[in-house]
Amino acid sequence: MNRQLSTRARIAQYAILIAFTIFALYPVWFAILASGRQGDRLYSLNIAGMFLPVEWTFENYQAMLFEKPLLGWLRNSLYVASLTTIASLLITTSAAFAFSRFRFRGREFGLILLLAMQTFPGVLALIAVAQVLTALGLYRTHEGLILAYTTATLVFSTWNMKGYFDTIPIDLEEAAMIDGCGPIQSFILIALPLARPALAVTALLGFLSGWGEFIFASVLVPAPDTMKLAVPGLFSLAGDQNVPWGYFAAGGMMIIIPTIIVFLFLQRQLQAGLMAGGVKG
Amino acid sequence: MISWSRRRKFLTVLLFVAPTLIGILLFNIFPITLSTYTSFTNRNKFHPNPDCDVGLTGVLDPLCWPAFRENAPKGLAEPYRLQDPLIGNYQGVIGTLFTGEALGALLQIGICFVPLIAASVVNRRFAKMASPPVSPSVVWLGALVLGLVIAFALNVGEAFGALESSGDFFVVVFRTILFVVARVPLTFLIGLTLALILNSQYLRGRTFFRVALFVPWAASSLAILMALVWQFFFRERGVLNQVLQLVGLDPFAWLSNGATAFGAIVATDIWFSYPFFMLAILGALQSIPGDTYEAAEVDGASYWQQLRKITLPLIRPAILPAVVLTSISAFQMFGTAWAITRGGPVVSAGQPGATEFVIVYAYKQIFSSQNYGRASAFAVILFIFLFAVTLYSLRLTRITKGAYE
Repeated sequence: MNRQLSTRARIAQYAILIAFTIFALYPVWFAILASGRQGDRLYSLNIAGMFLPVEWTFENYQAMLFEKPLLGWLRNSLYVASLTTIASLLITTSAAFAFSRFRFRGREFGLILLLAMQTFPGVLALIAVAQVLTALGLYRTHEGLILAYTTATLVFSTWNMKGYFDTIPIDLEEAAMIDGCGPIQSFILIALPLARPALAVTALLGFLSGWGEFIFASVLVPAPDTMKLAVPGLFSLAGDQNVPWGYFAAGGMMIIIPTIIVFLFLQRQLQAGLMAGGVKG
Repeated sequence: MISWSRRRKFLTVLLFVAPTLIGILLFNIFPITLSTYTSFTNRNKFHPNPDCDVGLTGVLDPLCWPAFRENAPKGLAEPYRLQDPLIGNYQGVIGTLFTGEALGALLQIGICFVPLIAASVVNRRFAKMASPPVSPSVVWLGALVLGLVIAFALNVGEAFGALESSGDFFVVVFRTILFVVARVPLTFLIGLTLALILNSQYLRGRTFFRVALFVPWAASSLAILMALVWQFFFRERGVLNQVLQLVGLDPFAWLSNGATAFGAIVATDIWFSYPFFMLAILGALQSIPGDTYEAAEVDGASYWQQLRKITLPLIRPAILPAVVLTSISAFQMFGTAWAITRGGPVVSAGQPGATEFVIVYAYKQIFSSQNYGRASAFAVILFIFLFAVTLYSLRLTRITKGAYE
């Protein structure tokens, strides 16, 4: 809309933007404040403390880093999330390439099947998944969790990648094929490098599904404490009777802040990768 | 595409798709099959173990597979077996929803929506005419009033009470639909408003606002931790009540009241999900060429006319799939409600709590009551329902169409 807006419309725009910015940032800000508060209190009874850093201490961070098993949890999460990312990338890009480029019987059916499978509530399949993992000898191991996560990312990532491959002109690959390039080579040498934005999205979502997930992680790797992942580990802290909220908030910040930073850095790619890909009609 | 021999093509496609197929088979299709089977058995905490000699149990239950068969837990309890009658669990889940009284009540409520459906048909008719006799909004308003009058005449409140007493299924599903209906349009409106503002010209600090407004989505990947932070706002000594006291109002136990607890969860979930819409709509807006508006401008179209006649129709194809997908995921929302209320507040024992949405209910059935058979029946019903919705929305949005078809 091209016209110069009236002053009143301008003010309304900024008012809405500022109101929603506060709405968007306050919960994170609150958690940051809580992570620097002394003692076990979550609330400061002093109302200013709810909005401004009137007191600040790094004690909670120190305790979380050196006394609690947080570092171990973070390492576990990092391991699971990274391997999930790699597995998810390998599997979904190749399937998406096939769905996008080849015409074969059952193609349409396969695509719809993928979407339909996703509608079965994941929590309810959990018992069966745990049993399958037990049968494979992978229950209570990180590898089992990686398998479960990877399959959980299959649907969205395959669809998204397929959508992106669809937007890449096929001419280049055809030219390569005339030069004697097989489908596998043209996939690896031509299609993959062109699909970089979508790869970034797939990787990020794969990573986050391992990094922040709660239910599968808490059921499939319930114990011991050293094997837990970061989110269930922290949540188990919060389930305690006298919850050390300061610790909890500090730990939460150490998990959330890196995520937010990565997201902000990849924002442009995210938008590009998502827009060209699956969610678009 | 260059042609190659049939066999080689088959092998190549298989190579590309096989890992996905195996994954889907092991972690999607098998669990669904096993759950469907379990839903016909009386498996629960009193009958947890399989009897491997029973045909299908021996095949489907992983505990009966050759590697485990010897060590399959026997326990003291009777092994689980097929229900008698076979659909016992389904009857248990659905309750008395399919009896005359409840169906009658359902019909009564359905009738109230007839005027609205009629209005949409009439409006579609009118849209084809050059000069419709009445404007669409008048038709809608009339239909709404008529619907309310019918609702009042048929005493819908009572019919609703009858449905609520028919069992958990109706209560839980109705609440979840209410949640979706509250959350998705609100999120869409917020996303649309913010995207329109961010897309307008001569906006100072655009990058800052876009980044700041985007933060909740980044945090939503750790939904359960952020939801705990949100819970603190609504607690008895939380931020909300402290601010209220500051203004001189009485504090309120937000999470102990059904309606406000519901509202708290909607608010929190909106926080998590509006950035996705904002980003999706922003992307769609940026793909609209600017001269479309110039033409409208020359013809003297107002801002609202441009919005309704140009912007919304043009972004519709890109946004519709996003709306469908978010609706389905809102239907399956778990983390937010679990972290904030755990399904409570519970009004009376044995009844689902005020924020016990479908997945929370199912989770409780499995992990608190260990009522596997019943929970599986619930899952199968949900699956059929969501499956139908997904297929319908696929037809609606045509997202299975490839780019080269």
